[in-house]
Amino acid sequence: MAALEAAEIRALDRILDELDYYEVLEIRRGAPGSAIRAAYHKASRLYHPDVNRGLDADLREPVERIAKRVTEAYAVLRDARRRRIYDERLAEQSGVARMPLAEAEAEAGRKSQAERGGRTPNGRRYFTLATSDLARGDLVAAERNLRTAVTFEPDNAVFKSRLEEVQRRADAARRSR
Amino acid sequence: MADLPVGSDEIAIGIDLGTSNSCVAVCRNGRPEVLANTYGEPISASCVAFREEGSIVVGNAAKAQVVHDPKHTVSSAKRLIGRYFFSEEVKKARSVCSYQIVEGPNHGVRIQIREDTFSVPELSAMVLREMKKIAEARLGQPVSKAVITVPAYFNDSQRQATRDAGRVAGLEVMRLLNEPTAAALSYGFGKGLRQKVAVYDLGGGTFDISVLEIGKDVFEVLSTCGDTYLGGDDFDDRLLDLLADEFLAEENINLRNDIFALEKLKVAAEDAKKGLSVDDEVDIRIPDIITAEDGRSISLERCLSRTEYAPLVMDLIQRTFKVCDEAIQQANLTVRDLDGVILVGGPTRLPLIRDAVRDYFQQDARGDVDPDQVVALGAAIHAASLVSPGGDQESFLLDVTPLSLRIGVAGGLAETILERNTPVPIEQTRTFTTVRDFQRSVKIRVYQGESRRAEDNELLGEFEFSGFKRARRGEVRIDVSFEINSDGIVNVTARDPDTGQKASTRITLSSGLTEEEIQRIMERNQSESLDADGQPAATETAEGPQAEAASEDLLDVLPEELPDDLLDESDLMGTGAAAEIVPDDLDLLDDVNAQTGSNLPVERKADAAEDVIDESDLFEAPGSMLRDPDEEPKS
Repeated sequence: MAALEAAEIRALDRILDELDYYEVLEIRRGAPGSAIRAAYHKASRLYHPDVNRGLDADLREPVERIAKRVTEAYAVLRDARRRRIYDERLAEQSGVARMPLAEAEAEAGRKSQAERGGRTPNGRRYFTLATSDLARGDLVAAERNLRTAVTFEPDNAVFKSRLEEVQRRADAARRSR
Repeated sequence: MADLPVGSDEIAIGIDLGTSNSCVAVCRNGRPEVLANTYGEPISASCVAFREEGSIVVGNAAKAQVVHDPKHTVSSAKRLIGRYFFSEEVKKARSVCSYQIVEGPNHGVRIQIREDTFSVPELSAMVLREMKKIAEARLGQPVSKAVITVPAYFNDSQRQATRDAGRVAGLEVMRLLNEPTAAALSYGFGKGLRQKVAVYDLGGGTFDISVLEIGKDVFEVLSTCGDTYLGGDDFDDRLLDLLADEFLAEENINLRNDIFALEKLKVAAEDAKKGLSVDDEVDIRIPDIITAEDGRSISLERCLSRTEYAPLVMDLIQRTFKVCDEAIQQANLTVRDLDGVILVGGPTRLPLIRDAVRDYFQQDARGDVDPDQVVALGAAIHAASLVSPGGDQESFLLDVTPLSLRIGVAGGLAETILERNTPVPIEQTRTFTTVRDFQRSVKIRVYQGESRRAEDNELLGEFEFSGFKRARRGEVRIDVSFEINSDGIVNVTARDPDTGQKASTRITLSSGLTEEEIQRIMERNQSESLDADGQPAATETAEGPQAEAASEDLLDVLPEELPDDLLDESDLMGTGAAAEIVPDDLDLLDDVNAQTGSNLPVERKADAAEDVIDESDLFEAPGSMLRDPDEEPKS
């Protein structure tokens, strides 16, 4: 493997705080998950302390700092929920480069919590109706109410997957009849 | 014998420092091999025997001595490493171990052998030194560099203590490697696999499960979970209890009260377990296990079948699968996604466990792996790649931290900084500020564990930062960095972002050794090994010059790893609250307040109370990026 150039390390270390996670991993913002992972492996191969044991002492610290930032970028971007929060931050605010992991996680958790019950009053209302339909075993009503809930929150992953599941069960029930 | 690759005069070994057994291996010319001891045995007992006349015997010979002199023979010391004296595991060990476990400074654990007391890292160091010696004898050259494996679920204190043990043994510990990761490396090394595998590692004292994705040359750990209170020893304890209870019922003698009988029972229970790995039935025979009050010598004899053994340990096996569920879920996978299962650890030879594992994972475990040697082989492969990076068969490891890293906040709560199964090395920075005018210092308590209640987690230490400018409340900013390195070891540093100046850090050590103690032990070892001429095999090799060389190496690492003021023991459990962010979750706070301190020793209890009452030390994080992540938007 090509050894890192001292000048290259120092230059990257100097601008590290200005780079967003995509820039740290050298991928474009819309990159798919597999590309994020490949980029993480590639960057780690360059900067991980294990491969830089032979480096001069004064270069080891900057290389480690880069390695840690690479890991941090991966830890946020590999998780679709955290990545969405981070992307929103990037779009909203200029100059955002990093995001504390615990914060990304907490916010992602809040978001999915909200999605589970619904974000809009109507979404919540029909989703709750569908849940009690399901408890009664009324698949037809549940399907109808879920479809309504989805029209209010078309991007709610929880609603959508529940609807698909109910549709599958309803289909199976129809077939067996 | 020393056929080193051309151009390399460095050799590094891999050591699997196990609870019951240890194993050493080396990787030369891309080929890993286990180095057997002088008797040709590939694994040696992690056992240290202190003889009456002052000599120390380590390994299988020491284990053979345990039934004769249980009080002065130390086994399974790894169960105690990096633990507080008051921890559950130490309590448990005190009830089952025949050697004397006493309390040392800083709530640490010491082992009393006649007039001497030893720290746990010292005892582990004796085992490590033995492994080093085995390697040197086989390789015909001195060895000073090693990769040492630890259970993946080991916390920071346990890792630090293991590192200390390596240093005391005169080794430069290049890396601490997680045991399941090492096993996966050995399994996949040079095969060009693309697989998702689970490593089921049931050792003598700990259980680990890791889920890895093996790429062309990258080994990425996706998740790891474990139970440091569960291992082969627990299986033996169950059988021991059965045998002792039956004996009590029949003969009205409690064998547990006689340490000689107890040790014989332990050996018999372990032998029976091993026997059942091969045969459907074993005969347990302990002649003259005890002498009755009337002078009659009684033997213990019993036949044990697999069917009788199974119900004794089934719940232990089921406990491992709960941990597996967690790991697989954390990896975002299902059992069906796994291409392979690797079994590690002696107990996994039991057909009972193999069958249960097959049922759980819905596939047979890989057969081409020796559960006792695979970890050392993996460590050796990694050791070789660290001394000569860029080799053609180099494999690259990306690991995770097994436990969440937390800081103490008001009300006895612990807030997450880094979640478990976050890849390492990694660093997170939080900005804090003072809450009092002209506040001189701030303290942070750092924990590892999965509970929101501070006391349910493992306290790693207390960090104090001072030396920042004198200013009114809120005017001082302190950037505190929490780092977990690739060894899984936690470092905490503080910086004044305005001046760039590093604030002084004082860590109050948890259960480990102080730097002073380590130096003292190393000096003692050095002088002992110099006048050790004519002593039995255990202390034969010339260790003097090497120990010296190792301590020179140490000087390089020292300033970076261990700040001077770390030596100050008196600071442990100091006063002052380790609190900064006031959580707004008041219900939980009340709930915790009501129960604060229930498990803590006296000194800590007083301290914990201060967490709640004394708000003078509270400081909070300013700025939008640094607000309390648990803060709920009020609606």
